Amino acid sequence: MPSVRSERRHQSIPFWRRARRIFLLAAIACLVPATISYVRAMGEKHNVGLGVRSVEWLRQNGGNSLVSEIENWYYTLNAPEKGGPGLRSLPQVGVASAGEEARGRTGEAYQPPDVKPLIQPALPGEGLWKKAAAKAGTRPPVLLTTFRSDPEYPQFVAGVAWIDSSRTRLAYVPGLAEPPPPLAHRGPAEVPEAKRGRVVATFNGGFPLETSNAGLIYRGKVREAMVDGVATVVEYRDGRVDVIPWHQGPGAPANVWFAKQNLPPIIEGGRLSPKLSDGPEWGETVNNAVRVWRSGVGVDSHGNLLYAAADFQTVESLAKILQRAGAVRALELDINEDWTSFISYRHPGAGEPSNLLPEMLRPPERYLTPDERDFFAVYLRPGERW
Amino acid sequence: MRLPREISAGAASRRRLLADMSIAIAIAVLASLLAAGVGVVAFLALPTLLVLLSWITIEAVVRGVRRRSARSAQAARVAER
Repeated sequence: MPSVRSERRHQSIPFWRRARRIFLLAAIACLVPATISYVRAMGEKHNVGLGVRSVEWLRQNGGNSLVSEIENWYYTLNAPEKGGPGLRSLPQVGVASAGEEARGRTGEAYQPPDVKPLIQPALPGEGLWKKAAAKAGTRPPVLLTTFRSDPEYPQFVAGVAWIDSSRTRLAYVPGLAEPPPPLAHRGPAEVPEAKRGRVVATFNGGFPLETSNAGLIYRGKVREAMVDGVATVVEYRDGRVDVIPWHQGPGAPANVWFAKQNLPPIIEGGRLSPKLSDGPEWGETVNNAVRVWRSGVGVDSHGNLLYAAADFQTVESLAKILQRAGAVRALELDINEDWTSFISYRHPGAGEPSNLLPEMLRPPERYLTPDERDFFAVYLRPGERW
Repeated sequence: MRLPREISAGAASRRRLLADMSIAIAIAVLASLLAAGVGVVAFLALPTLLVLLSWITIEAVVRGVRRRSARSAQAARVAER
């Protein structure tokens, strides 16, 4: 028979205390599968910090819109103010000093016109193409330039690279985790040792497949069904490269070697997309108008590739940078400082790698070790020499 | 089968704990089914766990301090007599 004291204690436990215990136990129960998943994910091979990996894990496990909301909030709070003192010099890019830039090239090969500076007076070397590699000859495969991209924000500097498609081939290189398994012929997730003698540049890919809701063709086979209307970097089996809005259905056309899709086009027919300022159009990512590191790739009217990246960009301002550099079709690639990289190699054998902009967070050796994300590598075509 | 009505305080406590655990597991299963993924569940569960643990810890500390001060006051009263 229970004692009076124990009976009293039995009745005296307040409801809120039991509710608290229930929620505590529920939280523990919820965290068990999450902890197993998290520990497993952190145990895999990575080349990014724990914080970035944790955010990526959250994104991959249903928290994509949550992370995007937090990012939007954070970047909006830390948005730069207009105006401020102007710059006195630009970061040095390439190997040629100002005045000795690519203009000295001879022959009948196409030469891109220098980028006309937006802000006057122009700074030394602003908008002038420079060779990315030493001893690149009279037809350098990669040219680099920087210019101030927005008169309202005179401290913002955009970095742009021009890649001669007649001398180079573009390769899509899968990363360690992106695209996610299964993927046949994933490769080493870095510039392969055998190809380092020909690599002239590498740059970041697009959004992960999970967040872009777009397609991927790799080595001629569909990894993720292609989506009509989405902007696509495509390489054909004959080596031609293009940036196009996709209208060929979900399958892989016989002449396509790889095709990587990412969001709707930002430039079509030399004009900015009229929908650039509409949030939903660019998917469930950081809002279009939020100023973050952004990157994009396009083609000029001669079919050469143009890559651009800069901090504090909106989708629209990024598109304007590419348009100013001569892009007639373009798409946005990956965003945020953790993922934006353009690296040129100054010497054969991936020697002396150099970031397009000194502010780029990831080291220039990023793609010489296995990387988390997919990326693009630019190789000299067979028969082409440094 | 009917559970015995007359039970000890310990047995009643264990029975309550079992009931609470069952409810907690049901809540966890429901949350996992409704949420978009384990990441979101963890994002909500972790702060909940930290807040509740902090609450319980603070409560225990306050209770301990009160008990000690009550004991020392009682000891002082006994000493005065």
